Amino acid sequence: MAAGEPFTAAQRHEIDRAIRDAETLCRYEFSVFVGRSEGESRPFAERLHATLVAPERSVLVLVDPAAKLLEIVTGTEARRVLDDAEVHLAVLAMQSAFAAGDLVGGIVQGVQQLAEHARRPQVRHGS
Amino acid sequence: MGCGFQADIRYPACVTNHPEHTPRSTILRRAATLATAVPALLVTSLTAPAFADAPAQWENNRPYSPLYVITVLVVIPAALFALITLLVCLPSMMGKGKGSYQPGQPWRSEPEWFGGPRGGVAAADRTEQPLAVGGTSDHPDERGGASGRW
Repeated sequence: MAAGEPFTAAQRHEIDRAIRDAETLCRYEFSVFVGRSEGESRPFAERLHATLVAPERSVLVLVDPAAKLLEIVTGTEARRVLDDAEVHLAVLAMQSAFAAGDLVGGIVQGVQQLAEHARRPQVRHGS
Repeated sequence: MGCGFQADIRYPACVTNHPEHTPRSTILRRAATLATAVPALLVTSLTAPAFADAPAQWENNRPYSPLYVITVLVVIPAALFALITLLVCLPSMMGKGKGSYQPGQPWRSEPEWFGGPRGGVAAADRTEQPLAVGGTSDHPDERGGASGRW
């Protein structure tokens, strides 16, 4: 492990697993960026979101722990099932975990909550 | 609730809250108690402490020095205890200093991007221009999300 790594292998694995579980749960792509945002956080987050493989179906979570900033960007398609109020709920949950000093726990919890909201019950009687 | 109703309730036997004890059954019960208690008491009170000597074949060992006894019984177990405790605690002690980033501290390391493109932020800087411009100018408010501070 190189010096100054922010996460241990176990913590990294925990976040990876949360993202994987979220993606299998709701079939949208999740991406978590932890680090300093360059310039304004919102445009930076949207820029990161635009570089993802499928931005329309992706949810980007940006956490800037030093500036204590949190941004979540949802793609056009993801936004249909995950409206901004639901995203805001996840933001609140993450904020309270971060404020308690639990960076990894907040990320995991937020991703899980986003996936829970983005999950739509399967339509079994559609045409 | 009259007496006529009471007469209809019949139990198969005479119902009373006093158990029926005939003198004969009482005598039998006491005899049985004695028959079990007396042998038990006799057996336990008659035993004498067992005396035994060490077998004659056992050779009489030299007495050990107190230093040797203390080494074997105290120092070696204590050293083992300390060694095992150290081995158990060492991994978490080593991991604590490195991976415990606390929010609010300055972020000194490279950003971590989970589920991001292969090149990380550098790739975002290289490829963002056409994508971001095209994406934002066509549908400026199609993307959603929320922000927060803590």
